[in-house]
Amino acid sequence: MIPNPLALIAEITHRCPLHCVYCSNPLQLAGTEAEISTEDWVRVFQQAHDLGILHLHLTGGEPLARADLKELIQAAHDAGLYTNLITSGMGLPEARLASLVDAGLDHIQLSFQDSRDEHANWIAGTKAHAHKVVLSEVIRRFPVAFTVNLVVHRQNLDHLEEMIAFAEQLKPDRLEIAHAQYYGWALKNRDTLMPSREQLENCLRIVESAQARLSGRMRIDCVVPDYYARYPKACMGGWGRRLLLIDPAGQALPCHAAGVIPGMSFDNVRQHSLEWIWRESPAFQRFRGEQWMPEPCRSCERRAEDFGGCRCQAFLLTGDASATDPVCTLAPTHHLVETARENGAPSEAKLSWSYRTNP
Amino acid sequence: MAPPADSSQPRFAAGCRWGTQGEERVVLFPEGMIRVQGTGQKILELCDGGRTVQEIVKALSATYSGGSPSRIREDVGSFLEALQQKRIVDY
Repeated sequence: MIPNPLALIAEITHRCPLHCVYCSNPLQLAGTEAEISTEDWVRVFQQAHDLGILHLHLTGGEPLARADLKELIQAAHDAGLYTNLITSGMGLPEARLASLVDAGLDHIQLSFQDSRDEHANWIAGTKAHAHKVVLSEVIRRFPVAFTVNLVVHRQNLDHLEEMIAFAEQLKPDRLEIAHAQYYGWALKNRDTLMPSREQLENCLRIVESAQARLSGRMRIDCVVPDYYARYPKACMGGWGRRLLLIDPAGQALPCHAAGVIPGMSFDNVRQHSLEWIWRESPAFQRFRGEQWMPEPCRSCERRAEDFGGCRCQAFLLTGDASATDPVCTLAPTHHLVETARENGAPSEAKLSWSYRTNP
Repeated sequence: MAPPADSSQPRFAAGCRWGTQGEERVVLFPEGMIRVQGTGQKILELCDGGRTVQEIVKALSATYSGGSPSRIREDVGSFLEALQQKRIVDY
């Protein structure tokens, strides 16, 4: 029996005013002309609710780039979904925010690139930071949950305490400290983003003490980046087990980066129901269960916990999507990750960023 | 944060609300959900931002005639404090 998915990630557009060097979007971005219509999304949200999904994460690109965002939120809310807007906040004047909240928006997750203006704009490839600070104050006046998201990496981890203090001033309910994950644009910039072991250990210590200090005021979520973990992450809670992602063109993917795996084809919500896609489509079946697993996963006692790690990462690093995720210390290809950690570049490599482009 | 006082007026924190999963009533919040049943559900349904903790205890005492008010007060306090820690309830 295939369990119902818990959440739907709707990548409603790839258009974005920012050019973050660690963007998780694919390198091949979908243009405006490829985006599915309002009616398509409205139908998908209803189907998502019928499939037992509770949470909808509206993301992009920048979801605010879609002029029909209010209609989308309204439809999702009416369908009974809990709506989360993952945003840079660019293109959100107070009146528009008011209309989104009025339509049923439950939660805003605002991304910050750094605590320092110049540094943040350097990562985003545009001047966005000051605007986000102002917007935070506006958000706090509305009855929505507010999360600040901070992506951390080699170039900002040395002032993590300052960044947490900065986030505290924005008064969110929750701070998410997300280590850059090496897919899409982040993989292109991996050497410049890769933290040192010392940075990582400091990070864990700092986060732990901040969690204790801020308990009950601001929740802090942070996970160990998988390149430094002993075992792989249960990517997306396991392939086709908990989450599904719809890209701007309506393709349903089991993982953000699944499009990189050769030989896969992804069914589209224009042609198929979400239920069929979840239960029947070949893409969602491909790495479900344990049949596909190689050793050492197949006989590993952790196989029902981490499901062999991330299929996309396995492909990106080894060329074989069925391989054990190389971040696992038991993987035969683990040396690839050890080498990547050692290749973390000193700061003079800053100039070699590949900024995310626009579709 | 301290446990709720008798005069506290508990309510859902911003971005937390009821939802349904099939026939079941659940509490939705950013990145998660909880199932609350029985007394927990009853307490939360009384948390409208207007009623005080004292009034909630009184209403519950009327429903659950078996429990002593001081025991109910204790349970309500620790239940709400735990949810406040999770940023699901404010008071």
